[in-house]
Amino acid sequence: MERNQLVSYIKNKFQDTVTLLESGKGESFFQIKPEDLLVFSRAIRDDERLGMDWLSCISGVDTGERFEVVYSVASVVNRIRFNYKLVLDYDKAEIESVQKIWPGANWHERELWELYGINVNNHGNLTRFLLPDNWDQGHPLRKDWDAPDFKRMPEK
Amino acid sequence: MSEAQGLHTKEFTLNVGPHHPSTHGVCRFVLQMEGEVITSVTPVIGYLHRALEKICENRTYEQIIPITDRFEYCTAMSCNMGFSLATEKLAGLEVPERAEYLRVIMLELNRIASHLIWFGTTSLDLGAITPFLYGFREREDILDMFEMTCGQRLTFNYIRPGGVSKDIPKAFIPVCKKFLDAFSAKVDDYERVLTENPIFIARNKDVGILKPETAIAYSVSGPSLRASGVKYDLRRDDPYSIYDRFDFEIPTRENGDCYDRYIVRIREMRESAKIVRQAIEQIPEGPIRSKVKMNFKPPAGEVYCRVENSRGEMGFYIQSVGEKMPLRVKMRGGSYNQLQVMPVLCVGHKIADLVAIMASMDIIMPDVDR
Repeated sequence: MERNQLVSYIKNKFQDTVTLLESGKGESFFQIKPEDLLVFSRAIRDDERLGMDWLSCISGVDTGERFEVVYSVASVVNRIRFNYKLVLDYDKAEIESVQKIWPGANWHERELWELYGINVNNHGNLTRFLLPDNWDQGHPLRKDWDAPDFKRMPEK
Repeated sequence: MSEAQGLHTKEFTLNVGPHHPSTHGVCRFVLQMEGEVITSVTPVIGYLHRALEKICENRTYEQIIPITDRFEYCTAMSCNMGFSLATEKLAGLEVPERAEYLRVIMLELNRIASHLIWFGTTSLDLGAITPFLYGFREREDILDMFEMTCGQRLTFNYIRPGGVSKDIPKAFIPVCKKFLDAFSAKVDDYERVLTENPIFIARNKDVGILKPETAIAYSVSGPSLRASGVKYDLRRDDPYSIYDRFDFEIPTRENGDCYDRYIVRIREMRESAKIVRQAIEQIPEGPIRSKVKMNFKPPAGEVYCRVENSRGEMGFYIQSVGEKMPLRVKMRGGSYNQLQVMPVLCVGHKIADLVAIMASMDIIMPDVDR
């Protein structure tokens, strides 16, 4: 499927769920509501023309105003890929685990929890991961994170 | 067996690593053992965490290239490539023809170099010392070629957004041709040492079988995936750069055990050599880098870009807000998911097989920990 076809297929099929984002540069980015995550993920995996059986990556983003969680998925069978994201408010930073759909999501979600403090429901193993076991300095990938030896580059 | 004698083995916990030669970096496993049989595996990672993603948020795009070198230092070229591709998409940069060829030559040579490390360390882990020396002998030739081109042997900072940093010197192509002419016979030598070796086969055949559906569910990529019979190579299936112009095979095997992963990687080295040969024959003259402003600011937007490196899918997610520094850079390495599937592969095997499986998956830790 060509990219244009893919985009229009997804827009038609999930018209109540997805919005196409303008921000994708040469890539397809959709936005979905956090509560649709599980249903949507399962639907794109089980849909025959999409068959997104491959979870490349889950990236968290802190924009300074809110969290974003970007899922990059692909299909081994159909040779296609696209990305979709959730937008989360700071005070409602929680998502559902997609491990039942893609077991490989486990560590990506653990990373989200550890580095951003986004809570992952039904994950089952949210424990210290990349950071030291006795880490108590918060979530380092948040934009407001600060530490004595962390210096931002000057603007000029 | 113990039951037959009316004896029971008490389950116990065994710690492997972090400083264990077979963990290729610093990785720790907490194993539950019943006698010599593994009943559960918990990988403990983070010993090499250098906060690269956080550092990237505080650097300009050009300053990030040397940081990506450290992300996966066995194939630093493809790290440069992945990040440059993503940045080019984001900023809409063109890449001159000659630069594309130079990139492919370097990427494939780097893939061979990385597979040679794997070849050497795998056999070392399994107790054979000679292949290690063989592998590092040829790798040395490749590193010399890199040094000739960009002055570096491990962290190249060579592929940049919009092209490459330096052209190859005149002496490069003869040296490279000489290397390629000799290389096929060298791979034959490697195969003569291991492929038919009864000890090697006994250690690897039917050990750590990765089923294709498990591999896909865990997003295991690269040679480890192709050894399970899934013909999925991003150079072909999600094409980037100019890979569509070359004629090469994508080796696959059916069984998905350690031995198949070995065969796939050996064959891949031959295929990479084939690509390099075609590229040095076709390479045109011309500029090597398009005009890129210092501290350029890509327009606001986001991109996820992936390349096939020697360990599988290497992806870069970049989000820009139109500043000279990215808002977010996420790095996804092949080893991350390969290590994640280790517990599935190891349960039921003997402890010595853990080493064989780890070696055959070609996991290195900087890739996982970032």
